[in-house]
Amino acid sequence: MSTYTDIATIARWEVKRSFSMMSRDVLPIAIILLILLVLATGFTAQTGLHIQDRMYTVGVDDPDVAQLIAGDARFSVYLLDPATLRSNPQVFDLIIVGGRVSGSGTDRAKAAQKTLERDYAKYVNSVYNTEQDLFAAYPLWIDSQEIKAELDFFATQSGQYVGASSRYVAPVPDGDVKNVPTPSSTLSITEEELRQGLVQSNARNTQISRYTEALSSAPTTAMGNFKTPAQISPPLPFDSIILVFVFIFPLYFTSQFFMMSIMNERIERKGEILLSTPVRSSSIILGKALPYLLGMFAICAGLILYIQASPIILLPLIPVIFFFLANALLIGMLARSFKELSFLSIFFSTIATSYLFFPSIFANVHVISFISPLTLIVLTIQGSAWTVTDYLYSTSLFWLTGIVIFYIAAKNFKDERLFSEKRLLSRVREFLSEILSEKHPLISLFLLSAFSIPFIFMVQMMCLVLFFNLPMPYSLVLLLLFAALIEEIAKGVGIYTLYARDPGFLSWKMLILASIATAAGFLVGEKLLLFVTLAQISDSIFGSILFLSLGSLWLPFLLHCACVLIVASCLKLWGKKGFVPGLVIAMVVHCLYNLYFVMRWIG
Amino acid sequence: MKQKHLTIIAKKEFKGLFNERTILLAVLLQLFIAMFSSFLMVGLTSMYDPSSLSKYSHTHYSIGYAGNDSQILTYLESSRDFRVFRMDLSTAVAALEQRKLAAVIYVPDTRPADTDPVKITVYTLQNDLQTAVVSVKLKDVFLKYEQDLRTIRADRLNEQIILLEIPKASGGGDFYEFVYGLLIPLLVFMPAIIASALIIDLITEEYQHETLETLISTPVTFNEMVWGKVLCCEILVPIQAGAWLILLMANGIAIQNAGLILIQVMVSSLILILLGTLTALHYRERTAAQFIFSTALVVVILVALALPANPLNLLTRLAVGTAAGEQWIVLGFTLCIVFVLGLLTHWYAGRIGRSHHTG
Repeated sequence: MSTYTDIATIARWEVKRSFSMMSRDVLPIAIILLILLVLATGFTAQTGLHIQDRMYTVGVDDPDVAQLIAGDARFSVYLLDPATLRSNPQVFDLIIVGGRVSGSGTDRAKAAQKTLERDYAKYVNSVYNTEQDLFAAYPLWIDSQEIKAELDFFATQSGQYVGASSRYVAPVPDGDVKNVPTPSSTLSITEEELRQGLVQSNARNTQISRYTEALSSAPTTAMGNFKTPAQISPPLPFDSIILVFVFIFPLYFTSQFFMMSIMNERIERKGEILLSTPVRSSSIILGKALPYLLGMFAICAGLILYIQASPIILLPLIPVIFFFLANALLIGMLARSFKELSFLSIFFSTIATSYLFFPSIFANVHVISFISPLTLIVLTIQGSAWTVTDYLYSTSLFWLTGIVIFYIAAKNFKDERLFSEKRLLSRVREFLSEILSEKHPLISLFLLSAFSIPFIFMVQMMCLVLFFNLPMPYSLVLLLLFAALIEEIAKGVGIYTLYARDPGFLSWKMLILASIATAAGFLVGEKLLLFVTLAQISDSIFGSILFLSLGSLWLPFLLHCACVLIVASCLKLWGKKGFVPGLVIAMVVHCLYNLYFVMRWIG
Repeated sequence: MKQKHLTIIAKKEFKGLFNERTILLAVLLQLFIAMFSSFLMVGLTSMYDPSSLSKYSHTHYSIGYAGNDSQILTYLESSRDFRVFRMDLSTAVAALEQRKLAAVIYVPDTRPADTDPVKITVYTLQNDLQTAVVSVKLKDVFLKYEQDLRTIRADRLNEQIILLEIPKASGGGDFYEFVYGLLIPLLVFMPAIIASALIIDLITEEYQHETLETLISTPVTFNEMVWGKVLCCEILVPIQAGAWLILLMANGIAIQNAGLILIQVMVSSLILILLGTLTALHYRERTAAQFIFSTALVVVILVALALPANPLNLLTRLAVGTAAGEQWIVLGFTLCIVFVLGLLTHWYAGRIGRSHHTG
């Protein structure tokens, strides 16, 4: 009971403190700035972004064409007579004489031509949209129907060909054939509704879509499934993704405040008073975090009300909020100076954004997008459903890492850690050292390596997303190397920390026992998490590299053991200097093992 | 103000930065952003325009064709991308579900010259990367067929169109706008944002760590201290931005007017740094200063981007080599802002400095 009152008291203090800080003419200026921000956003939305203005030069002989092209701010248009244009083709990127476009052949000219092509297609569409007989201008309509297939990750990688086993005979489906109704030959929407849809999709010429239109034209809602051939493109949920940013940015700001509040306790040992009270450190942390947690909830709930979205969006946001707070706490405890705090927080937020944001771009295209909780938000906004398994799959890593980080921070929330002035890396090591028990080092090692699994998965997922875009052999090779390196680092860190604390700890007997403990912990953690969440990815060829070892247990155990043993022996033989070479050797061994299995697996 | 004192302060701050190695984090971060954004762009483009990667061009996709004969069937059969099988619709869709086909097309019996449109139904797999590739390939065929139909129905069209004859693109130029119109201005300008966040940390740190009194008791005046810190941050900008330019050029991206780009960045970053200085001097506390400054920064950048010929646009045009004489006007204008802000900072810092000495 008293724990709850402690937490409540500390939360009250925290709110009071931040308000007393805010009163110093921060609030009025913040309000003014927020109003300015809204105005500026409106202003920019109206005039558009002018980053690419006048990148290209075009020489034109016809005033009508000049007017047409001048509608795009990217072009500087010069109206000259045909003779001058023909004699100076190199002055311009493109010249248009008598309706014929010709480029000067440079990269810039090629890009200009592509832009012109898109602008012209848009213009042609805008003319066709006003045609009396719409079905003469748009005689062909495509009705796209999506069929759900059994999830087959291996088949979907980078558009690889899967198809009929025989080359010239039509494939025959196994099992029963369900009757598919013959589609009607008429459109179910009236001509006027289609015209509306066409006009709408053509009007979507914002500067943001400029980047996306190179890739796809956004689907319009008014036309249902029907598209003209020019509109066919893989769906890119761009609007929803922008909306997602609206949710994430306030969370960053709030977690910044939390970070700073933790940092403030450490400046000039101000937090000593708080630590000297008979309150548990976990209560202090929870109490301090509570106002920010509630604040973030309130902001998200408010935003959801404002955009009138489904409250289900809150569910995937909760683990994200939790993860942000946990990291803010750790960064606030680690940084030595404001500079370091700034850089660490910028670094964290960029990486976290990438992890959250980039997979969700592929929300409609690939299952890999589900590693980000934001994909669930995008899907909700789009009106698609997701299941409890999807939720577990995309949020479990956030929950687990958040909990582990909170635990580490709570363990270290005391005088000698908070007010120490050591370097960043040695501070990290001290933090880890704190959670490794002196009496039962082996159990600690076991637990540490088991709990490092969610972090490893996160980093590996990040690599997977990053390398997924590369062509096939490179993506595999890079993934192979990085996956092995990350795992070896995670396994080596515990032993390194113990060695750094007490070099005498690593007797040969202890070294072997420690390796076994680490390897066992690693294996147990890996298996547990895999079975709970990642079955989807682990079926793919990428998954087979990341978590090769679902089959037999003793082989991966031997591998993990051998690799840790290598690192530990290098530490024992050459001291701290031996850590990096040890890691490299272990990585190579790990890679060879993986290669052997992947090769056999592919073959 | 003595130059010697300025350099002493700047040196002290540099030492601190290098001791903490935080600057390494900043560089790593920028590298990460650049890598991620280009990976994203390359990845997306290859997905949406598979022909840009040659390895996809030799793949044949199996297509089920159901319904009535049409010109489309001929187009599909003559295409090197597809292997077409005439099938019953239900069988074809079942085969698609088992991934034995890449797509199924159903064509109705609408005649080309009819008043009604031709409605083709395409069945594809949901959430599948291959679908993305196949639909782009099918799109070409459909476009060709649409053009045929338009020609047949041409007598029913009555609007006038300005005709432009654009030669077939010869490849290349896909990433040009992304690289020059977004990546380069972003990368080159990021050091300016980092520097302005840094100046706030440097100034508020003196207040909150209570090291200010010690510093002012030395011959260094408050004004010199502030300008020394500004100097340190300003020097970091061209170093980082220059490193980026060199890195980009080493990657085969031709950048023109590199010197002028650096000058533009230095001047416009000084605006941000001075704004940061003023905020930090006013609040003397990091949380408040950073919060107010970052909000203000978003406002300033948004407004700047909405103006034609803004510094970021100028960076793009300098890099591609289409900046005309107006760059000097813009430079002059930004210099004016810097001058006004500089005077303001000097006056404000001087006032604070005097109050410290008297009080």
